[in-house]
Amino acid sequence: MAVDRDRLHRTLTPRSVAVVGAKGPDFGWLENNRDFVGPLYSVQLDPNEITEIEKRGFTNYLKLEEVPEDIDLVICAVPRPIVPFIVSDSIKKNVGGMAIFSAGFAETGEEEATELQDRIVQLANDAGMPIVGPNCMGVYNRRQGVKFSDGVDHGDGGTVSIMGQSGTHTIGATTMAQRVGIPVSRGISFGNAVVVNEADYIEYLRDDPDTQVIGVYLEGLKDGRRFFEALRSTTPKKPVVIWKGGQTAAGQRATRSHTASLATPMATWNALLAQTGAIPANSVDELVDVLQVLVHTTPPRGRRLALMAMTGGQSVAISDAVGRQGLEVPELADKTYETIGEFFNVIGGSFRNPFDMANTIGMAGDSANLARIMNAVSEDPNIDAMVFEVAAGFFSRMWRDEPERLDEMLDTLDGFRERTGLPIVTVMHAGAIDDEVIPIRDQVVARGFAVFPSFDRAALALSRVINYYEWVDEAG
Amino acid sequence: MSDGNGPIAAARADGRTLLTEVESKQLLHDAGINVTQARLATSADDAVAAADDIGYPAVLKVVSGDIAHKSDVGGVELNLGDGDSVRAAYDRMMSAVAENAPGSSVDGVSVQQMAAQGTEVIIGTTTDPQFGPVLAFGLGGIMVEVLRDVAFRIVPLEARDARQVVREIRGYPVLEGVRGQPGADLDALEAMILQVSEFANDHPEVAELDLNPVFAYPDGAIAVDARVVLAEE
Repeated sequence: MAVDRDRLHRTLTPRSVAVVGAKGPDFGWLENNRDFVGPLYSVQLDPNEITEIEKRGFTNYLKLEEVPEDIDLVICAVPRPIVPFIVSDSIKKNVGGMAIFSAGFAETGEEEATELQDRIVQLANDAGMPIVGPNCMGVYNRRQGVKFSDGVDHGDGGTVSIMGQSGTHTIGATTMAQRVGIPVSRGISFGNAVVVNEADYIEYLRDDPDTQVIGVYLEGLKDGRRFFEALRSTTPKKPVVIWKGGQTAAGQRATRSHTASLATPMATWNALLAQTGAIPANSVDELVDVLQVLVHTTPPRGRRLALMAMTGGQSVAISDAVGRQGLEVPELADKTYETIGEFFNVIGGSFRNPFDMANTIGMAGDSANLARIMNAVSEDPNIDAMVFEVAAGFFSRMWRDEPERLDEMLDTLDGFRERTGLPIVTVMHAGAIDDEVIPIRDQVVARGFAVFPSFDRAALALSRVINYYEWVDEAG
Repeated sequence: MSDGNGPIAAARADGRTLLTEVESKQLLHDAGINVTQARLATSADDAVAAADDIGYPAVLKVVSGDIAHKSDVGGVELNLGDGDSVRAAYDRMMSAVAENAPGSSVDGVSVQQMAAQGTEVIIGTTTDPQFGPVLAFGLGGIMVEVLRDVAFRIVPLEARDARQVVREIRGYPVLEGVRGQPGADLDALEAMILQVSEFANDHPEVAELDLNPVFAYPDGAIAVDARVVLAEE
């Protein structure tokens, strides 16, 4: 069925919401949506639940049709045998669409449950009503304050949308992205994807002005061909990062019972990635890592890196990490070497790229030296991007005693970014002082820098994004 | 594309899904794909006449909907230099097939021009239940069978996909030319890949297609064997 785009838009950007079947003890579907900007109603028959719902200040009706207002989104959390009735009520009420949290359908492998699901699909398709799910956490809209978890923010901004077949991973990617300074404008957890499928969502997000970058978690495809075509028409405009679950025999068995998904051979999947320019990720960490580079840096146009490490050991580690991903560490221009050579302390240090520079910029050195190094590198024609080690293990005591020195360092990085327009990512390895690292990391994040817990993760994410922009330039 | 009285219609009329080599080549030739000429002959005289017409050296291959691997049953005779050799090969083949594949229905032999040996590659398509036709490209012979050195693309391919798929296989240096051997005509291979992609895209009723081998030359490329399997109706 071709999905009605206007109704899908109402479903994903609702101005009114009804929660059907909210239950104690926590009434999560109502409580999570307290911030919702429009009217929020409860529909519940059970007198015991109603008492508590009303005590919490929510307006309850016994039937959906009694709700006095038009409803854009119905969040359905009733037990599975009741779902078809709520679907019928929603159709009668002419709502925008539904998100069905209720589970226990085709993913169980039970014949009866599959028939129940088929009945829901039939009803929705006949009425042209979009359903998100079933078996999902449904819709998050940052601006509207519709939430699929209490951990997601309400507010303006956000250029990234996350769509996924798992509630855990969709919410996980959303909250992890928030944590590293990436507001997520939309989240869509779509479970079994039987009425609105992955191709519909990609097409919607492709055309959505609130979405500039798309993150995807997928287990299977309902309409592979249309998904392929939808992706091909999206990636030239908006990067799409896809984490594919079920890449192994065991993983595929798990996807079957999780979302009733059929396996896709990896050879075919890899062909799809090559043809569409979609960026692969193999975990929620990789997904968010790639988002960081896409959101926090300018598009990288080249693979030659300046590597700014603090110690000799790290200068080796960082070089191997980027080398393994096919990134380059060029010699710098003679002029850069001349300028830096005038003040750089080469005893226990190096500036040939990779840099080993703690002795020049740290406790023993002049803190203005970092700015002098960065100025020189910013003039260098051989550099396309920078990886910068924020060496908390080395400097955390100094930064605690003299917090202005961390600010100064971040000002210098900011200046480099402004002046050159080049991508810059930072790496903060937690080492054995993870508790000290967190507040420092938060400051780096607050300045809008991509920050990674290891060189390897920084290198992987950066290389994936570089590959993507090479694809864009080639596909032109 | 309509195929009113072409090979697909003929196979359907017989209730067959496997097209013969002659039918397969006819279909691909009509789609503009460079395949060796093949003509059906049902007697030794026929075969000699066809070979005289196409030119020597000639190749004979048995035509049977029941036989998928012709050379295993003595159903392929190569490098036949004149009419007498063709006649002798025809008789040899009929007895070999009768002995090695008893009960197979044999429609005759296909008489073909013998193509000069080139670098062997394969181009094929299969049908993925989620994506539809998927194209495979690889080096032929043991490279594909043992090393599975094959790269895939979802149909339809764009020009860049054809360019990439050729370069993606591990054996690509062989196509570039090694040890003083001339390289293969990559433009010709990419063009053939795009033609096969277009053919598969236009023929959803084709479930499988194999051009195996395709001979790649420093100048041009030609498919010397072809096999088309239709989807069940």
